[in-house]
Formats: sequence, C-alpha cells, structure tokens
Amino acid sequence: MMTNGQSSRLRSEHVSVAYNDQPVVHDLSLSIPDGTITTILGPNGCGKSTLLKSLARVLRPAGGSVILDGQLIHHLPTREVARRLGLLSQQATAPEGITVEDLVRRGRYPHQSLLQPPTRRDLEAVEKALALTGMTELRNHPVDHLSGGQRQRAWIAMILAQETPLLLLDEPTTFLDIAHQIEVIDLIKRLNAEEGRTIVMVLHDVNEAARASHKIVALKDGRILREGTPAEVLEPSLLAELYGVECDVFPHPEHGYPFCVPRSALPLDGEPPRADDTGIGIRQLRAGYGQVMVLKDISLDLPAGAITAIIGPNACGKSTLLRTCARLLKPVGGKVTLGGQEVHRGSHRAFARRLALLSQGPTAPPGFVVEDLVASGRYPHQGLLRQWRLADEAAVEAALSRCGLEDLRLRDVETLSGGQRQRAWFGMALAQDTPVLLLDEPTTFLDMAAQIGLLDLARALNRREGRTVVMILHDLNLAARYADHLVVMKGGEVAAAGPPAVVLSPDLLRAVFGIEATVIRDPRTGAPLILPNETPEAKPTPAPPMESLELAAV
Amino acid sequence: MAVFDYAASPRRPGHITVRSRFVALRVNYRVLLFALIASVLLLLLATYAMTLGSYSIPFSGVVKAVVGQGDPERLTVVRTLRLPRVICAILIGAALAMSGSIFQGLVRNPLVSPDVIGISEGAGLFAVFWIVTGFDLALLPAAAFAGAALTAMAIYVLTWKGGISPNRLILVGIGIGAMLRAGTNYLSVRYPVEQVRPAVVWQMGSIYGSDWGDVKLLTGLLLVIAPIAVALTWQLRALQLGDGVARSLGLPLERARLGLIVSACALAAVAVALAGPIGFVALMVPHIARMLAGPLSGSVMIFTGVLGALFLLGADMIAQHALPVSLPVGVVTGAVGAPYFLFLLYRANVRV
Repeated sequence: MMTNGQSSRLRSEHVSVAYNDQPVVHDLSLSIPDGTITTILGPNGCGKSTLLKSLARVLRPAGGSVILDGQLIHHLPTREVARRLGLLSQQATAPEGITVEDLVRRGRYPHQSLLQPPTRRDLEAVEKALALTGMTELRNHPVDHLSGGQRQRAWIAMILAQETPLLLLDEPTTFLDIAHQIEVIDLIKRLNAEEGRTIVMVLHDVNEAARASHKIVALKDGRILREGTPAEVLEPSLLAELYGVECDVFPHPEHGYPFCVPRSALPLDGEPPRADDTGIGIRQLRAGYGQVMVLKDISLDLPAGAITAIIGPNACGKSTLLRTCARLLKPVGGKVTLGGQEVHRGSHRAFARRLALLSQGPTAPPGFVVEDLVASGRYPHQGLLRQWRLADEAAVEAALSRCGLEDLRLRDVETLSGGQRQRAWFGMALAQDTPVLLLDEPTTFLDMAAQIGLLDLARALNRREGRTVVMILHDLNLAARYADHLVVMKGGEVAAAGPPAVVLSPDLLRAVFGIEATVIRDPRTGAPLILPNETPEAKPTPAPPMESLELAAV
Repeated sequence: MAVFDYAASPRRPGHITVRSRFVALRVNYRVLLFALIASVLLLLLATYAMTLGSYSIPFSGVVKAVVGQGDPERLTVVRTLRLPRVICAILIGAALAMSGSIFQGLVRNPLVSPDVIGISEGAGLFAVFWIVTGFDLALLPAAAFAGAALTAMAIYVLTWKGGISPNRLILVGIGIGAMLRAGTNYLSVRYPVEQVRPAVVWQMGSIYGSDWGDVKLLTGLLLVIAPIAVALTWQLRALQLGDGVARSLGLPLERARLGLIVSACALAAVAVALAGPIGFVALMVPHIARMLAGPLSGSVMIFTGVLGALFLLGADMIAQHALPVSLPVGVVTGAVGAPYFLFLLYRANVRV
C-alpha cells in the first residue's frame, strides 16, 4: 500500500527535542506520506506528543529540522503554517459560553486580516466544516454544554474550517466512550477518503490505530522502533518490545485488520477467599446533582469478594453511582448498604476504614512526595497524637512495595509520569487498608503496559486477599477480561448485569453503545472479545491529494 | 525504662519517629531544626533591636536590663518601652504568618491571605469608626477584633451553599472587602480631618506604643490558638488533597473547614486588632517557609510562625530606625517585603 517514492509535504530530518536538558526525541527522521492517515503509537512518555508538536511548529527542536513543502517550518510565518497545517491539541478547552459556530469561525483566523469582515469563502468553509462533522444542528449550542464526543467534533470542525491539507491530531479520542471513539475515527477516515487530507495523529489505543491508519509509527524513548502498515507493525514481538507486555494478535474475522490483546502477567488462580460482609446493595437509588437526576431508581447487588466492572457510554451515571457508593454524594431516594449497614449513616472515619475510593484525576499539593501521598491514606486510622504507629508504617510500606513505588518514594508527585502518578494514588487507597476498593476509571491515561499492571494488581488484591473491587472501565475488552461481574449502564439505569460472557453480546453493544461489533471468545482466556466492525462508508483507502486545497495553501 | 521510643526513620531522610503509649508521630526534625535556628536568630535580633534608639544601650546592658539589673533609667527604657514593642512584633508576625498559611492551604490557592479576603478590612472599618467617633481608645483592639470576627462570620455564611467552596470563599471575601473599604472611605471623608488622621495612621499598620497590656492579651490568646492551628495542620494536609479525596479518607469536611477557618480568622483578628492591618506578611511568609521547608505539616507551621516573627521584627526595626522619621511598620512590609518577595519568586522559579 505504501511506496517509498510517495510524495511527502511534511517530514522531519534528524529532529531532537529536549525538555530541561532531558532528551525526549532523538535524531528522528520521519516522512508523512501525502493523502494517508499516519498514526504515532507508543508507551506513556515515549515522546509521541512532543514529536507531533514539533511537526506542527509548536515546539522548536534542539537539533534537526522539520520541513514543510521543502521549506524549514521554523522559517515560515505562523499564519502561513496555519494555512497549510491544522493542529488539534490534547484536552483543548474553549472559553466559557462560546457557541459551536463561534469556535469553528475562529479556525478561519489564519485566512483573515484585522479589519476585513468574514468573506463568503470564510462562511462557506465554516458551513462545510459544520456539515462534515455533523454539527450543523448544534451550531448555536454553547461548547461547554456538549457531550464529550460532540465537543471533540466541534474542535475538529474548527481545524477543518482552517482548510488545511494537513491535519495533526493529538489523542483525539482519549476521553470518549467507544461509540464516540468510533464516530471520531470514522470522521477522520472520511476526511481522508473523501477530501484527501493528510492526517497525522497520536493515539493511545493500539486497536483504534490498527482500524484507522494506513501507516503506523511505533515510537519508544524518542526513537522509531518500526514504521509500516498496521499488519507490519502490530505483531507480538514488536508490541512486546514497545510496551513491555506480551500480546496476542488476531486478525478481525470479517475485516482482516489486526487486533491486539495484551496478556495478563498474572494467571487466573481459582476462587478468591470468602468475604461475606463486603457486598454492596443498592436499592431504588436515585441521585444527582442539583435539579438533574442522574441515577433513576437503580437496584443492584455488587457481589462481595468479586471484581465488578461498570461500563457504559459517557454520561450514563457510572461515576455518579460509584461516588454515591463511596459516600461522596447523598442519594435523593433509596439507599446503599455495605455489608448490610447503610452507607450514608454513621461516622465518616469508620466508613473510610471499610471502603477506599481511587477517584479520577486528583491532584496532590505542590511539594508532596510519593510517600507523603501514600501515608495520607492512613488518615482514617490515625488520631491527633497517633499518626505513625507501627501499623501505619507497615501499611504504607506494604502499599509502596505492592505498587512498585519504593524507588519513587522521595519523588515529588508532580514530577511523575501519568502511569507512575496513578500508581501513587492507588498506593494511597491501598494504604487505607480497606476490604473494599472502588476505582473510578483507573486506566484512562495509561499505556497498555501500565493498564495491565494496574489491573493485575487489582486482581491480585481480590484473588489473594479476598478484597472486593468495583471499578469503572472505559475499555470494554479489559472489563470483559478482568471482571467476574459486569454492570452495563445506560441513561442512569442498569441495562444489564451478570458474568461478562453472558452479558456481552452484539445486540447489547448495539442497544447500549450504538456500535456494530463482532464478539468472539479470547482463545487464551475464554473471555469475550469485542471487535468493532468496519463502518462500510469509511474504508481506509488512500485518496489522491486534494487539488483545491493545494491551491488555497499556496 | 524510656518513656519515649524514638528512632530515625530509615527510609525517609530528615525524619524521626517517636512512639510511646499515647503518642506515635513521625516528625520532620530538619524543619524543627530550621525553626530552632530561626528562633535563636530571633532572640539575637530582638536583643539587638532593644539596643537601638535615641537612648542607645549596649548589647550586654539590654540582656541585664531584661532580667532586671542595671540603672533604673535603663530598666525603664528597656522594660517599659522597648521590650513590649519587640514582643508584640514577634507575636503579631507569627500570628499573621500562620493565619496566611492556613488560608492558603484551605483554599488551595497560594495568592490568598486574610488581608486579601476582607478580614483586615472588617477590622479596619470598625477601628476607624471607633477612632473618628471618639470612643475610648483603650477599647480599640476589642472593636477591631469584633470587626474581624463579624466579617469572617459574614463571609462564611454568605459562602455557605450546602458546603464551603474555596473559590467562592475567595470571591465573597473580595466582594465584602471592597464593600467594607468603601465604608471606611466614607467615614474618612465624613468626619473632620483632625479626627480622621489617627485613623489613617492606624490603617497603615503600626505597633508603635505597644504596652504590657497588649503583650498579655496577645500571649494569652496565642497560647490558645497557635497550638490548635499547629494540631489542625493534620487535617489541613488531608484537605489539601481535594474535597473528594479528603472525604473518601473519612475527613468530616465541613467541620474540619470550620475549625480551620475559625482558627485562621482568630489569628488574623488578634493581630489586626492590636496592630492594624499590616500587609504582605500573611501572604508572603508562608511562601518563603514552603520554599525553604517543603509542603505544609505541623513542623512547617511552627517554622512559618517563627519566620513571620523574624520578618515583622526586622521590618519594625527598619521602620523605626533606618530612616530619619520613623514609619508605621505596614509601610515597610509593603515597600521592602514585596520586592524581595518578587525577587525570591524569580530566583526560586517556583510554580504558584
């Protein structure tokens, strides 16, 4: 599919980038073939985003050069670059109250001048961008009121209005649920297929990359490990080298693209020890924020001594349910019990000795080192004058060693990588030494190896010590493999609950997530595997470069 | 048999573990050592401060006079005039710095201090009213304290909406502060200039003319509040992790926050009541303490207090002696302290 002689408007030659004398990208040369989708993959901290930013002229490399249309990109004026190349940053935030159309119009900035009113061309570009992303109906909505998937589409519309032949996207799907992920990836494929735009993106998820790209660049420690078609790059030995995790790779039974499943390092060993008094009972629960009722009359049992995974589309009430169980939110009606005792009664401290919550995206105060953070988990066991008994010290040590944090104990939490930071917060919840652990999307920012490491740890805590684990997971395949009990939520209600093999079916996936997928059995573990199907109109076929845009850019 | 079992913490440099039947604490002895060194410096500086003035006394003479030896004239100058002022500077500096430290930790925002969120303005309005209407000046501290305490209550009540949101607390405080300042300005133009003038001087913040009555009042109050403040840093550390995390650690959020707000307001109110609003100490000293000693803990809180004392005493010495005219100390903390603070921020490259 890819030929070496293919033309390439954007390329890097021997680029090196360093942050504070720490090299992040080393002597890297890469050509982006025109009219294709190129994806940069790699573990956390491998320099993916840094590479993308230097390709987009946002970062100035310490050595080497980035070349756009045969010219050094840093010698071109910013506006000139912005007419040829659009960048979607990670976690972009819009100003408060701004509408979708307003946001999209800002994409025209590089084509406008100070006193000139928007031209017909500007208006056309905005209309076209709205239409392409399916946002025409939502044009007058404030961006902050949109769902995650809609918001991401609004941002993509903005850089589409920029009308650049090159699009650079930094993790465009990270916060989205599977339906929105597929929606965004399909949009990207359509832009490539129908308009011939050249797309470079950084992705987190290997399988998403396999589905979306013509070319994959595997990056590790700032160097290219391998580049080529998905089938060439995504094979077990390379994945093992890239992420440090053994993977099984299957071809999709219908569509043929490779599908990777990371293997757990921890064998499934039998039944966990019995734990009777840690089951969570939810009865006629209604809860929400202010006037908005998120949970509508939920009744559910989360079994003691088991691993329960909660899945569901964005904004289905997963986090609200978990927060209510963790006593962070008072129910409006109904009740939650833990081992038969009502959760929202009695002392907070006593409850915190029975149940720990790892919440989403917490931040540590400046200057806190890892050990300080882990030691904070001892708070419910401490008294004013008894803060560091032998038991406290032992629990902190155990948590540090379980989470592999011994070498990081004196590191400032703010200087850790995403994966390390998540382990530190998990260490804090462990030091709390509770029979029940609730984890709210513990794997969101982590690469494959870190995800497996964290879930293996949760499984070990369950299988060896009988702790009850309840977690919200984003990735359906991980949920299917690690959970004994699966809860599927939609629109504030429980859509299904039971063992993963029983619950997960193509019909359920269609009804809850609105996606078409094939469900097969993992030949190694027997757990169900969900392989999203190709949407027919978005088949990745390289299209000829877009002539009109070429003209517009020159 | 040893009552205390103590040992150096092997894996955490700079810490020592102390355990007995009733106590089990791990203490950052390095920071306590810093505090000790700062205390020695404070003692030397205080003694030196008492040698200065139009009636100059040698260093040894001051030491003797403090313990009650020497000629009566010296005794009067040192024990009646200079010692109370020095002690007041020390205690007020400590109270302001600790108050700022609690507020900054509480709202997780390093740009907050009691003078930013209107506590000082409350004290100011009451005090100015008291001065311009010609009430008994002996009760001025009581009036200022009442103003500070009422303002703190008003801020708390207006911020409450099923809980206290730190950001709303700052905004409400700034709003109330602006209102109170308008009131103070109104009083300043409403009354004749000769009555307003002492009020204006009071508002600059000064410890001129402190006497043993002030010292007794300050000591008594601080002996109660300061240990509570140090003890509450245990809860403050959990609170700093964010509301959600603190709650899942079993911290009774609103009760802990109320305790911290009350103690921080009390510290600020005590200081403002006796000295008027002295700017910048409460904002700046906690930063310097954190730069030197690391994130907030009980030991760091103690260190912050000593550092605040050292800072205000130094500022008062400059105010009193460095220029031909003696100035209110508040002028010096702003004029000298603020640029030095900017310099430190620039040098240390800390993230705020």
